[in-house]
Amino acid sequence: MTGAEHGSEHNEFDCSRARMQLYEYLDGEMAPDDIDKIREHLAQCGPCLQEYDLDQTLKALIRRSCSCEAAPRALRTQILARITTIKMTVEFRD
Amino acid sequence: MLTAQLTPVTGSIQVSPHYGSQGARSALGWNAMTADQSAFAAPSSTSTAAQRGVRQPSAGEPPVDEPVLQHPSHEPELDMSTETPQERMARFEKDAMPFLDQLYSAALRTTRNPTDAEDLVQETFAKAFAAFHQYKHGTNLKAWLYRILTNTYINSYRKKQRQPLQSDASEVEDYQLARAESHTSRGLRSAETEALDHLPDSDVKRALQEIPEDFRLAVYLADVEGFAYKEIAEIMDTPIGTVMSRLHRGRHQLRDLLSDYARERGFVVEGATS
Repeated sequence: MTGAEHGSEHNEFDCSRARMQLYEYLDGEMAPDDIDKIREHLAQCGPCLQEYDLDQTLKALIRRSCSCEAAPRALRTQILARITTIKMTVEFRD
Repeated sequence: MLTAQLTPVTGSIQVSPHYGSQGARSALGWNAMTADQSAFAAPSSTSTAAQRGVRQPSAGEPPVDEPVLQHPSHEPELDMSTETPQERMARFEKDAMPFLDQLYSAALRTTRNPTDAEDLVQETFAKAFAAFHQYKHGTNLKAWLYRILTNTYINSYRKKQRQPLQSDASEVEDYQLARAESHTSRGLRSAETEALDHLPDSDVKRALQEIPEDFRLAVYLADVEGFAYKEIAEIMDTPIGTVMSRLHRGRHQLRDLLSDYARERGFVVEGATS
């Protein structure tokens, strides 16, 4: 089974083009004019839609897995202490 | 809100902006960053891609067609020459410190160990504070901080770890063509999708650590932080084409690794083909 090229009216957005721009679509980086075209293609092409589905799953999976971790409390204290030192240095030079 | 902090304080603690900033900058070896920042001290709406990161995947949404490098002339100027050290510190604590957890998480994924991550974050905030007068109020503070983090990492930790630089020799066309060509060889992938979706978070973190760091960073910035391509290009100081290339390669490598892990766990990865 291959992703069939759909009729002449879809030549502009065949499977190759869709594949090349799937990430742009996924990342919300696609030009507005092309969004409708790729949507139309995905609606008609099972293999491309499955590919997109996988990309989307992977993106969500990465985000889910790397959720924000709280920095150690001591780190915040250290940073603020260090910044105060920088501030003091600046003051005393004046 | 910021103007409230600008009430004049006694002259004795007032710092000449030039003298003070130069001193702090050279003391921190800041010069390398300065050149970068002139290009980056560029306003952008903080609300565009940054917000996408915490929302659902943005697929299908119209792209935010807002130039990253756009000068908001309406933005009230914050007069640095009248800002006292105390005021600057308060402004920094209020505006920059809330990004601590996010930057720490990114540093963890980048350095791959907690000690290095803490060092990297501390260095990042120290540099950010020393250069805070260069940061233009109203521009994308989060991206600015990430840029400092990335630069700091590249200039120190990467050298320490002696990782080979990832070559971006073959650019967009190659990998895109490869993807287009691989099309016909792919059968039913829903089994793979299903398998990946059931992997534990630890597998994803492990896979992220396996891929080259330029790829890892691009994927992290796009998928976890939700930065737009333009912003990633600025943070990583590369052309957008390179960002796209790194994203493609990184994601494909991740996908292959995760499929392997899924197979090791006994998940059915291949569809009922061949």
